[in-house]
Amino acid sequence: MTQTADIVIVGAGAAGLAFAWAAVAPGIKVVVLEAGGHVDQRVAPSLASDWELALQTTFNANPNLRRGAADYPVDDSESVIRPAIFNAVGGSTIRWGAHFPRLRPSDFRKRTLDGVAADWPVSYKDLEPFYDLNDEIMGVSGLAGDPGNPPRAPRSCPPLPLCPATRLLAAAYDRLGWHWWPSDAAILSRARGTREACNNCGPCGVGCPRHARASADIAYLGVAQAQGVELRPGAVVTKLERLGHDITDVHYVDANGPARLSCGEVVMAGNALGNARLLTGIIDNPLFGCGLMLHPTAIVTGLFKHNQQSWRGAFASALVSQEFYESDESRGFIGGLQLQALRGQGPLTTALGGYGLRLPWGQRHKEDFVARFGHSLSLTVTCDDLPEGANRIALHATQTDRHGLPVPRMIYRVGENSQKMLDYGIKRASEALREAGARQIAVNPLVRNGGFHLMGTARMGVDDHAGVTDARGRVHGMNNLSIVDASTFVTAAAVNPTPTLQAIALRAGTAMRDGKITQRAIA
Amino acid sequence: MTGRLTALLDTLLPGDGADWPAAGAHGLAVHAATLADDMLGGAEAMAAVLDALPQGFADLPQLRREEFLHEIEAQDAARFDAVITAAYNAYYTDPAIRDIIERLTGYPNRPPQPEGYVLDQFDESLLDAVKARGPIWRPVD
Repeated sequence: MTQTADIVIVGAGAAGLAFAWAAVAPGIKVVVLEAGGHVDQRVAPSLASDWELALQTTFNANPNLRRGAADYPVDDSESVIRPAIFNAVGGSTIRWGAHFPRLRPSDFRKRTLDGVAADWPVSYKDLEPFYDLNDEIMGVSGLAGDPGNPPRAPRSCPPLPLCPATRLLAAAYDRLGWHWWPSDAAILSRARGTREACNNCGPCGVGCPRHARASADIAYLGVAQAQGVELRPGAVVTKLERLGHDITDVHYVDANGPARLSCGEVVMAGNALGNARLLTGIIDNPLFGCGLMLHPTAIVTGLFKHNQQSWRGAFASALVSQEFYESDESRGFIGGLQLQALRGQGPLTTALGGYGLRLPWGQRHKEDFVARFGHSLSLTVTCDDLPEGANRIALHATQTDRHGLPVPRMIYRVGENSQKMLDYGIKRASEALREAGARQIAVNPLVRNGGFHLMGTARMGVDDHAGVTDARGRVHGMNNLSIVDASTFVTAAAVNPTPTLQAIALRAGTAMRDGKITQRAIA
Repeated sequence: MTGRLTALLDTLLPGDGADWPAAGAHGLAVHAATLADDMLGGAEAMAAVLDALPQGFADLPQLRREEFLHEIEAQDAARFDAVITAAYNAYYTDPAIRDIIERLTGYPNRPPQPEGYVLDQFDESLLDAVKARGPIWRPVD
């Protein structure tokens, strides 16, 4: 039996669910197909003492190690950074720290301002109302007035507090004369509706049983379904059927076997890896798949003499410094970086190395553990990666997953400019931590498991020479195919992409809802 | 196997004679083996490392045992790493060890949830110096 939908969205992550919420309206049938299932965060691993084991198994960020029912293998043999994605309703927001920064206006004008990459066909001002809308729906704690960013609407909740270690860091930044500001966090510091306030427990990355930490399913799914959006979890899309410049049908398989949806519009929100498996051969633009940007990240950890109890508090959402965010030629590279504070980790993760090196086994082990556990504070050096043609997503020539879909290949090396940025950022982070009182500094020069931001392989552009999609994600040359995830980013910026990709999705979904749907399903 | 694994664990995570027990003597061999089984390639790694131990390993002094393990680690770092992970997993999730951690560090021997910790208020006066420096973002048209 052929079913129909006006809009079929592939992927129920941060972008897909935001798009669904924005696009649905009376008379428009929206169906979201998601390969993964629901994750019940009310029974999150953090309710058990051995919660850290989940970071190695069911909540392992690397799909090749996690091997969940919805995961497909990724060939990362040609990449110095491994994939970190989560396949479930809610997508990678199930497995995240909810750090929620926006891009700056200058990030959208890289070609004009810095002479590299390209300008986006959309501006900060275009996205600003959708940033605001998304912040409200996700539930953001923070503080307006950051001198590192344009003025913005008051946050719906006050910022999460600093802890002893981050207070030392903030004071150090002040002494150095550097910018810092409390993170915008998609974590409620005050209760709202059925979502409780954060209780400062720490391990946001294994889900939040209080629903204080937002994920796309918690923030968007219920309200989207109330408006008529239909979610089909466990539905693995296997093929898009193309006729000329149209996608006519979406084939998928779920627990009931193979099925087909005749569609008006198809919206891809399955990240750069997932999209490549379905769109290679559909999109013939040579830019598709190229220019992969990953935010190469270093982590610098400072160890303090006194126990800071740094396991307390949201691990990734404390404060940031954007002192080195904008380009400055005197630094020897183009673009900038952000320093994001990371709190300490649990005892097992500390022993296994946390953000740096594993504690040595043998007679020194216990002494090292006591010296480090609770004594650490880390800074990420998040780089404004530039798009380089050799960095890309491709498909494996012979390997397939259990559904017969090709295995995606991640091909990535750290470019010269990004490496200079990392080196510079490591020095600045070390300087800040020493100023804060750290007596020992440990450097992880490149986080190998840090492929969580997959950007640029279907970048926007004003035409098919400049990009794969237009400013609303519509694929150039196709009548009814759109892409709305971070793969449409033109530049990477030096911050986490989720608020921006959700703002883009809301903008595109709103446009489609407001009479701009070019295709309607024919039953 | 359990005897050899106990000796291996005691070498990786020896006691300090005061606060911390040795992992093997603490009875974690079975648990460590189970956790290795749960890891991708963990059981095979554990078997390989145990097979590489010399006869009489358990009767050697700690330093000599450490020397042997360093040799094995140098020859097959990936498998040895898996064994270390299994050992640390068992040790640092053990309730009695968590009691010791609580006593020495203040980290409570309970799950992070549902109790959590007190969420203080953010002190906005901390930002006075940053605010005083003014905007640092680049405006664009």
